[in-house]
Amino acid sequence: MEFAPICVYLVISLLFSLILIGVSFLFASSPNSAYPEKLSAYECGFDPFDDARSRFDIRFYLVSILFIIFDLEVTFLFPWAVSLNKIGLFGFWSMIIFLLILTIGFLYEWKKGALDWE
Amino acid sequence: MFEHDFLALFPEIFLINATIILLIYGVVFSTSKKYDYPPLVCNVSWLGLLSVLITILLVASSTPLTVANLFYNNLIIDNFTYFCQIFLLISTASTIVMCLGYFKEESLNAFESIVLILLSTCSMLFMISAYDLIAMYLAIELQSLCFYVIAASKRDSEFSTEAGLKYFILGAFSSGILLFGCSMIYGFTGVTNFEELAKIFTGYEITLFGAQSSGIFMGILFIAVGFLFKITAVPFHMWAPDVYEGSPTLVTAFFSIAPKISILANMVRVFIYSFYDPTWQQLFFFCSIASMILGALAAMAQNKVKRLLAYSSIGHVGYLFIGFSCGTIEGIQSLLIGVFIYVLMTINVFAIVLALRQNRFKYIADLGALAKTNPILAITLSITMFSYAGIPPLAGFCSKFYLFFAALGCGAYLLALIGVVTSVISCFYYIRFVKIMYFDTPKKWILYKAMDREKSLLLAITLFLISFFFLYPSPLFLVSHQMALSLCL
Repeated sequence: MEFAPICVYLVISLLFSLILIGVSFLFASSPNSAYPEKLSAYECGFDPFDDARSRFDIRFYLVSILFIIFDLEVTFLFPWAVSLNKIGLFGFWSMIIFLLILTIGFLYEWKKGALDWE
Repeated sequence: MFEHDFLALFPEIFLINATIILLIYGVVFSTSKKYDYPPLVCNVSWLGLLSVLITILLVASSTPLTVANLFYNNLIIDNFTYFCQIFLLISTASTIVMCLGYFKEESLNAFESIVLILLSTCSMLFMISAYDLIAMYLAIELQSLCFYVIAASKRDSEFSTEAGLKYFILGAFSSGILLFGCSMIYGFTGVTNFEELAKIFTGYEITLFGAQSSGIFMGILFIAVGFLFKITAVPFHMWAPDVYEGSPTLVTAFFSIAPKISILANMVRVFIYSFYDPTWQQLFFFCSIASMILGALAAMAQNKVKRLLAYSSIGHVGYLFIGFSCGTIEGIQSLLIGVFIYVLMTINVFAIVLALRQNRFKYIADLGALAKTNPILAITLSITMFSYAGIPPLAGFCSKFYLFFAALGCGAYLLALIGVVTSVISCFYYIRFVKIMYFDTPKKWILYKAMDREKSLLLAITLFLISFFFLYPSPLFLVSHQMALSLCL
């Protein structure tokens, strides 16, 4: 039930941001003042030197995969953290084993150099 | 709380720890400047072999003939899992032995593939002893994830990349189907445990249009289809030839040996113990016939070795399913014997393929005049091929004979008939190997390098077992009977 205000809030903030975008169109002095020079890409004042397509760096994938893995780790940590007083030492150590295995994965990445950015 | 459970899981715990230690060892020393960035794949594979052997000892030293349910009935240990696990570990060990030379020659500096093989072995151990739909699915998924990675492990070969991608997509698809089946079963029964399911399904008659629940029928159907994908039975086999051909040879060897054991063990557990019913047996009946026919006919047109072996393994899955679709104790026993002998022969063949691979051994025609350049290897390969084909005094004959015998015993005359006919047809292409080796004079003679000692030992042992199995088959028969009994009683 407490999600209802959040839904209302989402709708209102959407409306509000649309208003903020729209207002500038209302008060702009000349709405159709676009000409080719103005529409060209901004590259420090020069014309673009080469093709816009460049090789995509694999490190972005690595970082995002690592993020997914550790994000999942956090989802497992939430219920554990909340119920820590009920599950006792056994629950504590189970999670520690899980974390240890993840830490070993992390160590592997570290030594392999997946986290180096240059 | 779970003290005894942890004791019972000691082999798995050991194997996981060994894998972790190997991973750390490999990554620390292979990136160390002090040792000049050594390629550690040989060291890690020897150590991995050692840890698999120790795991075999640990599994074997735990007492058989006990039944234990572990971790709230999620895992089970009984006679069936005991022997299956030992067998699986032995086959993994022999795969590692096979690829020792491969790593040395190939300058492939990826010790991770050994680590992944060990991890997937561990998940297959869990798969064999899984006793709950969730535990089963998790184990299958861990195993498949490791396999996707090692299928695509050769990054500079586009075949390997393609194989990895195909395997990943179809594997994920089949896992999805399997999972959907599991959730249907759970939704319509409210339990996931195999024992509870067995209690629900005793005398249930799972028919689609009968008075009983069609949801359960759909669930079982989807689980069966998921498993058939994984084991490459015929209507769902399309990925197997490409993946087998594209992956690196040692990975192909591992794919065609180890998962067959674990998936069949898991299937037998699910379909004989939990969902025992004549309805789904018709499905396996159909798949068995289709696999045998396709395996025999499609392999005839193949020129590449690994592709041919893929079709031959599809055909063998068909023969194994004969035992499965009977559902009698003899059927299960013959299935287990068939798996054992199939794995034995496959280890032998892949050891030969790996031994010959230096000169890009890809086509069957490359075997030309092997009888002159390496007569002992030629004899070994011919005996194994005769055994695959089912020529009398060899092990392959015994396994097929016992499978057909079980089919006749339960009244499945059609299965036995088609099995015999396709086995005669498949003789054609198995014997083609022998013809090429002994009677063909090739345009260019290929001289293969001598193989290393590990592979030759492995070849000698498996060849000995294949050719002299018929003299003393009783241990295998006793063990497989025990396994079948512990499952069915």
